[in-house]
Amino acid sequence: MIEVNNLHKSFVSKKNTVKALDGLSFSAKDGEITGILGPNGAGKTTCLRTLYGLLRADEGYATIDGIKVTEEPIKARKLLGIFPDKFGLYERLTAYEQIDYFASIHGMKGADKHAAIEQILNDLEMTELAHRKTVGFSQGQRMKVTLAQALVHQPKNFVLDEPTRGLDVMSTRILRNHLARFKEKGHCILFSSHVMQEVAALCDRVIIVSNGKLAAQGTPQELCDLAGEKLLEEAFVKLIGSDEGVAA
Amino acid sequence: MMQLKALMVKEFKEAFRDRRALMVAMSMALLMPVMIMVMLKVAIKEAVDNPAVYVKYTGEQHAPKLIKALQDENILSFADVPEDEERNWNERNIELTIPDTFVADMAAGKPIELILRADYNEKSLSSPIRRIKDIVREHSLTIGYKRLLVRGIDIKLLQPIKLLEQDTSLPSSNAVMISLILGVYLMMAAFMSGLPVAIDSSAGERERNVLEMLLCQPVSTLKIVLAKLSCASSIAIISIILMLVLTSVAMNFVDLTKIGATFSIDASTFAILLLLLVPICFLAASLQLLFAFQAKSFKEAQSTVTMLIMAPSFIPFALMMMDDKPAWVEWLPISGQSLLMEDVFKGLPIDWSALLFSSVATIGLTVALVLILAKRLTSEKVVMSLS
Repeated sequence: MIEVNNLHKSFVSKKNTVKALDGLSFSAKDGEITGILGPNGAGKTTCLRTLYGLLRADEGYATIDGIKVTEEPIKARKLLGIFPDKFGLYERLTAYEQIDYFASIHGMKGADKHAAIEQILNDLEMTELAHRKTVGFSQGQRMKVTLAQALVHQPKNFVLDEPTRGLDVMSTRILRNHLARFKEKGHCILFSSHVMQEVAALCDRVIIVSNGKLAAQGTPQELCDLAGEKLLEEAFVKLIGSDEGVAA
Repeated sequence: MMQLKALMVKEFKEAFRDRRALMVAMSMALLMPVMIMVMLKVAIKEAVDNPAVYVKYTGEQHAPKLIKALQDENILSFADVPEDEERNWNERNIELTIPDTFVADMAAGKPIELILRADYNEKSLSSPIRRIKDIVREHSLTIGYKRLLVRGIDIKLLQPIKLLEQDTSLPSSNAVMISLILGVYLMMAAFMSGLPVAIDSSAGERERNVLEMLLCQPVSTLKIVLAKLSCASSIAIISIILMLVLTSVAMNFVDLTKIGATFSIDASTFAILLLLLVPICFLAASLQLLFAFQAKSFKEAQSTVTMLIMAPSFIPFALMMMDDKPAWVEWLPISGQSLLMEDVFKGLPIDWSALLFSSVATIGLTVALVLILAKRLTSEKVVMSLS
């Protein structure tokens, strides 16, 4: 369960002040996949970064399973599996070593850890990649490694920042199936995306963020009804009040 | 604890797989013994008193005793010059002309004029010329004394004043100089060897976008910093050990007894040097990390951090220049250790209280830097500059 409560965040520089979050509130429940939609610069990544505890909100707070991120960041992060906006790989490690590294950071050890790593490698169909050094991996392969290291400890809550960018159809399907399975097991999944079909197909609830504020929320169908449109894309454009960012 | 272990294992794996950074780190250690050896060889060559000098004689058959006296001091006839040095000595062209009238004039007690022809401005000739002059004068004086003696005159009359010279310089002053340089180099190695690894694991990771992911993980920044610190400083320590071992091996190839010096890195010297340098390695690694994390890119880190890190490694040089050292420099990090190292190389007893104090000061400073860095990594600014 992830809850965001009245988040405000401004980035102040000498020349100008950017208000990235302006009282954003929403919650993502266990056993549901929640999608965040929003045009570029709407504050999605800022919001997610606040969730990881990388940024401090000026006002308001975020909780993961009831734990305030600002107060106990390490405890909160333990409950999270994170697929960040920007990610890189340790290019001198193999995929396996890298996943192992993140599993260890999450406190896994011994046979359990190895079983979990094998499991996630199988689930993401990347056993062949496992013992290759990650230098020279394709974008899709890199995404898979990053996903594997985010999911290896079977976190109660997933936060994924555009997890399907750069993935081919097969990999996207694998990921979707994976997320659906976790949902059934009662995990809480929050992910941001630009792909409307994906959000429509996968998400139980959609949160539309615009200008750092909650523009609308509900099931995809509810949003379409709210906007009086048939397609989620049309509804999205209508709800955020402009067509900026849709092309992205 | 387990997290820390995982973090450290990863840092070491990455460091040892980055061959290029490792090579740079170790290159100082490998070059150092070679440099010391070359420097020693040169020093020995200069210090050894009587390298052979070859002189072109004219009329040498007239003064066999003088020629013999010269020969005793390793001043030889050009006729005997070895082939590989012939060109050299031919060019230097020292000529000594003994007149045909030598025997007759000597018998008659008349002054004899020998001619020494050479390029007096040529610096490399100043020592041979001085030696030839000394021997000729000595030879001439001996004959003069004998003449006086046979006439029943005490030769002490010719020396109303005698100057007794007492040289207080240590016989092994050259070796001391070289070991001081070794000290400075060890200090620099401690400071520089971990640098490539430190930059790669901080600014490099930031540039490769892996830092953000790590900072999102449930691990305290203190552990992250400690893992990186221990990796970079270990590389520096390995480099120093390698340098010391290679240097002591290299010393076996240099005959130091020729300049009356003894210099060896025995077990206890080795241990004391390590004891002195290990805290420096940690301090250096923490400084490198602190500055490298602030740099915006790998390149910037490389240039600015190298400059910043060079500064402390020049402290030993500055100390060498200082005549009146205030007492507190003995207690400070870096300067304290370099003074102590000087003592070790001079063979003086170790001031254990100074060692303890400077080590504690160094480690204290390192701890402070680590805490500052750990704090800094939690701040938004670091994250902001990620994007």
